[in-house]
Amino acid sequence: MVINNIAEMYILLNYLIAIIISIITAILLKLPIVPESPKRFSWTKSALFPTPIITIGILAIAYSMKLFWIYNGILLAVIISILSGFFVKYLFDYIFPKPNMG
Amino acid sequence: MNEIIGVIFASIISWLNFVVIDTYFGLPEAPGVKGAETVGYSIKKRGGNLSGGFFQGNVLCSPDASAGTLLASMGVMLLGFQGGLIATLIVYIGNRLCADPGYAGTIGALSATIIVILGSYIGLTPLMFVVGMVIAITTIQGLDHIYSSKLLGLIAKKLNKKTKLK
Repeated sequence: MVINNIAEMYILLNYLIAIIISIITAILLKLPIVPESPKRFSWTKSALFPTPIITIGILAIAYSMKLFWIYNGILLAVIISILSGFFVKYLFDYIFPKPNMG
Repeated sequence: MNEIIGVIFASIISWLNFVVIDTYFGLPEAPGVKGAETVGYSIKKRGGNLSGGFFQGNVLCSPDASAGTLLASMGVMLLGFQGGLIATLIVYIGNRLCADPGYAGTIGALSATIIVILGSYIGLTPLMFVVGMVIAITTIQGLDHIYSSKLLGLIAKKLNKKTKLK
């Protein structure tokens, strides 16, 4: 299957690269790798959640709007993943604050 | 595949997807917000199960794996697998706005995206999953709260996620 003259294989590869780079960025910014236990009730932002979710969501919006830029979209994937790491570290609590309850 | 048979298959798959993921991520264990607590105790007062009541209250009060499954099927229907990823981001933002950490919703949306794409290889279209998910959520929230809460409580007990509240 071909999306906008780019093979689907490249698109999937870009998502994989974006996920890996966003996790590495988050770890370099000293976010914890996984939230503390019990994980399913934890509000801690970490490298595995929600950084890759935000990265692939924004990348999917860009690719759906046929925005690939250069090198089959790979540079866009790298830039968005690095920016998402910084977003989760510094801006996330300001935009999505924790509810103030116990 | 015949449309009716496809919808039946899709609703069974969606039902299992969202009930198992929601139960695993602790929806029956505790009410996340005040509304879920009210729903849970109201269902218990009418003869239902408290764990199942909290499950139903939590599903009602924030977009969990049920909404994730529905929105991911819609996203895949409109934009292919990238639509499923956009739906995941939207469900996550919705979760955060509804005072929910967001694990159940996002994992549910991602797993639903994968399931819908795999389903397309055996002839189940994304549209069948949209209809199937509406049917699946109707069996939980729309028909009879007492019996569905007892069923959900039984599943929660089997997966060891029963509530400790009284």
